[in-house]
Amino acid sequence: MAEPRMDDELEGELEGHLKSKRMLVNLGPSHPATHGTVRMNMELEGETIIRADPEIGFLHRGFQKSCENVTWTQCLPYTDRLNYVSALMNNFGFLTAVEKLAGIEIPERAKYIRVIGAELHRIQDHLTCVGAVGLELGGFSAFLYAIEARELIMDRVTELTGARLTTSFGRIGGINRDLPDGWSEKVLKSLDKIHELVTEVDILLTKNRIFVDRTRGTGVISREDALDFGFTGPCLRACGVSYDLRKQSPYWVYDRMNFEVPIGQNGDNYDRYLLRIEELRQSEKIVRQALAELPAGPVIVDDWRVALPPKPEVYGTIEGVIGHFKMVMEGIQIPAGEVYDATEASNGELGWYIVSDGGGHPYKVHVRAPGFPILAGLPRMIEGRMLADMVPTFDTINMIGGEVEQ
Amino acid sequence: MSANDDKKNTEGAAPTPGSGAPSNPPPSPPNTGPRAGPEHQPPAAKPPATPPGPPPKPAPKHPGLVTVTVDGKEVAVKPGTNMIDAAKEAGADIPYYCWHPRLSVAANCRMCLVQVSNSPKLVPACQTPLTEGQAITTTSETVKDSQRAVMEFLLLNHPVDCAICDQAGECKLQDYYMQHDHQPSRLEGVKVMKNKRKVLGPRVVLDQERCIMCTRCVRFMDEVAKEPQLGMFGRGSHERIDVFPGTELDSNYSLNTVDICPVGALLNRDFRFRARAWFLSAAPSVCTGCSRGCSIYADFHGQETYRYRPRENEEINKSWLCDQGRLSYKYLDKERVVSSSIGRGTDAREATPAEAVKQAWVKLAPLVGTKGLAVMVSPVASNEDLLASLRFAKEVLKVSEVFVAGRPEGKGDNFLMTADKNPNRKGLEWIAQGLGLSLKPFDGLIPAIEGGKVKALWAVGAEVPMDAGVFASAAQGLELFVLQAFNEGPVAQAAHVLLASAPHIEDEGTFANVDGILQRFRAAYPARGESRPHWKWASDLFEAAGDTTRFVSSREVFQALASRVPELASFDWDAQAPSSQRRPGINPLPTGADGRPPGYREFGAPRVRGI
Repeated sequence: MAEPRMDDELEGELEGHLKSKRMLVNLGPSHPATHGTVRMNMELEGETIIRADPEIGFLHRGFQKSCENVTWTQCLPYTDRLNYVSALMNNFGFLTAVEKLAGIEIPERAKYIRVIGAELHRIQDHLTCVGAVGLELGGFSAFLYAIEARELIMDRVTELTGARLTTSFGRIGGINRDLPDGWSEKVLKSLDKIHELVTEVDILLTKNRIFVDRTRGTGVISREDALDFGFTGPCLRACGVSYDLRKQSPYWVYDRMNFEVPIGQNGDNYDRYLLRIEELRQSEKIVRQALAELPAGPVIVDDWRVALPPKPEVYGTIEGVIGHFKMVMEGIQIPAGEVYDATEASNGELGWYIVSDGGGHPYKVHVRAPGFPILAGLPRMIEGRMLADMVPTFDTINMIGGEVEQ
Repeated sequence: MSANDDKKNTEGAAPTPGSGAPSNPPPSPPNTGPRAGPEHQPPAAKPPATPPGPPPKPAPKHPGLVTVTVDGKEVAVKPGTNMIDAAKEAGADIPYYCWHPRLSVAANCRMCLVQVSNSPKLVPACQTPLTEGQAITTTSETVKDSQRAVMEFLLLNHPVDCAICDQAGECKLQDYYMQHDHQPSRLEGVKVMKNKRKVLGPRVVLDQERCIMCTRCVRFMDEVAKEPQLGMFGRGSHERIDVFPGTELDSNYSLNTVDICPVGALLNRDFRFRARAWFLSAAPSVCTGCSRGCSIYADFHGQETYRYRPRENEEINKSWLCDQGRLSYKYLDKERVVSSSIGRGTDAREATPAEAVKQAWVKLAPLVGTKGLAVMVSPVASNEDLLASLRFAKEVLKVSEVFVAGRPEGKGDNFLMTADKNPNRKGLEWIAQGLGLSLKPFDGLIPAIEGGKVKALWAVGAEVPMDAGVFASAAQGLELFVLQAFNEGPVAQAAHVLLASAPHIEDEGTFANVDGILQRFRAAYPARGESRPHWKWASDLFEAAGDTTRFVSSREVFQALASRVPELASFDWDAQAPSSQRRPGINPLPTGADGRPPGYREFGAPRVRGI
């Protein structure tokens, strides 16, 4: 881009510019226009971003190391806190990786419940993102509609897991408890309402002049750059790459689900927004289909080396109490080996590289957070652009401190 | 030493040649299998003169060895090797309850049943002799079925006790249930009830319901302790372990039965209900109960020792430990001196270590080189403590002889326990000689104090081979008594300057046992309160005296001074450290229930302890 003109001799009196100089500005770590505790070190030339350097670590908790000190099951609460907006997807992703390492095939019903939970939380995650984009561009009403819809999911998730946010749901080998009575009907009713609310958000934002002006053509990343940076999820698909693990390497029962993977064209903020709106509708479709097809049967494998014995057995028989004791005190024994497994989380490929030394504790847990490469690509999207473009860009990449900083 | 193994020869057992350590179990009768040592086995190379019936044995593949195949893996072992050991060499773990490498074979638990090529039925691995070319299968479905069935039978009448059982966490029933059974109970009706708290003796209590009748304890008392105090009584569901009527399990080796009990049936009355096994960490250490210096694990949590367990040591104690030594850990916990003090009686006041050292030196300094200053050392201190302290005595205090204190002589036996109750007398003798000091017997000290010859005394360790009260009243007559002590007591009260000392469990170092075997021990936890090991006090005293000698660790003491003592000079202090890795036998869980290393809560003991 052209150097801003500094030489005021050339300017007429009426057009006299103020003398400017490069400024170093910290955006964040606590700033109303950044959702997430991240600090952007920015060098500004007027309102143009010359250099942007995202600095992470404010939410670093030592997730990977903490996992090495607890049993496999006890890792689950730590995974809640990765992408805390869609905890179920982290829970299930981790469990699926561990089950792959242990060679455990979980029951059908558990697979369906995992799909339902994951898609509900995808809806929740996208609603949060879409609402926040609106909010930070000045559209407060859209945010309220989105959050109202999100609350409905939180209520359903609370009924299912007992927690609004930190679900710790699912266990190695399946699900720790079945769906509550009448829950499916409630979910269907909620989905109806959510559908209305999403439509409302769509109407408020998609053709809104201000919204379109600020998002279309801003935060652009090319398809090649996105691939090079390692983008996955909506940010990659907005560039026109149809890559979705639910289609590419279907897990659980995604191969039986009828849904489309929307893709964008321009790789800009507007496409990323539109893509999420469309994914909201696709996820709704998946949840409806999964609820309709939900088979009867057990929700966890019948193997006392993996699943805790039922409580009457624990209190009444020595076999049960031993099984319970060994699993709780020493952890589920996962065969030695290593595995990489990934699921499609709301922001992209949530990958787990897990090593077991054959004991009840992980030897190593590494998580490939989808937000990390995307945040790394942020400077490429905004350098040379206006400061104001930073805000929608930072919104639509939907960086979640919990998973990026672990 | 040489009379060690005939401790019960009055009861008719033939004395075997003593070796200074517990003997192997006697060779089994021929019909109980292959437990006899290699020397009792005919060499495999020579085909025995066979009756015409069986075909000739194949020539051994590896001369002098027996070659067998375990789960498809070939392994060549010495003739007479137990099949369980041979399988272990091939990487196959055969589960067992009743078998113990140091006891005769009973083959009654049936847990080790395996398939072998030369038998149509499953055979107990512990009892079946290895034959050339035998193929052993330990993982087939038949074997797994049998293991599962055995576990089901063993658990059939087992009470639902894990929550209240001391053995939980180190129980073979729990381990093998998860490995080989993991099925729900199929019991209909009620379990057989037996006596849940049968007191067998002063130190052991038996829960007969938990017992799986492996008879390890009976065999241990017969064969190793050679005091047959336990037996099996009743039949079928009424079978139980018990003492003979009118007697009790009062052997000095009775607590070994608790160790070898694979389940929670035999319980240590001292340890019972005091700690959960998975919260304890184990530090490889040395028993200080007598001069035998048995290798032990000291199980601790926080800054408290809960129990000693024997640690495998072929040279000294094999797998055993005497009850007296095992219970000798208590001085590490109880009535400890945790802060130094200055003054005696009503004048006594607490002092910081720096103050106390300064005061000690101020008082000692004028007496340096005078006849009235005596030094007393206790052979309870480690070699490092003694090296530093005796060097201070010689070079700064300018004494040429030291009085040897230490615990009073007790009773010894012909097995492990010695009459000398001090763990390091040998080390003291070596070090005194190496540093050019002569040792004087303790008997001379009291008359010297009373006669006014000794006016001031610096004592490393408060243990005295006489009544502590009597010694303390004699010590009241001293003009200066500087004492380094672990424990409160009359002697500690008699000191003018009391320097709080840390016992061996709180620092690392070495002991030399009665046979001159040097052993390293590891520190379990940091010293309590403001106490410090003796070597550290010696280092501080050097500093107070203006000497340049300083030590920052016991390792440094040993490396700086061991070269002056010929017996210590060749000892590789670092290489000889016992491993803190898990050992065969009963080990606590590697980590605590909440994921932290056990014993971690109160302060940050590093996860990998030791050097």
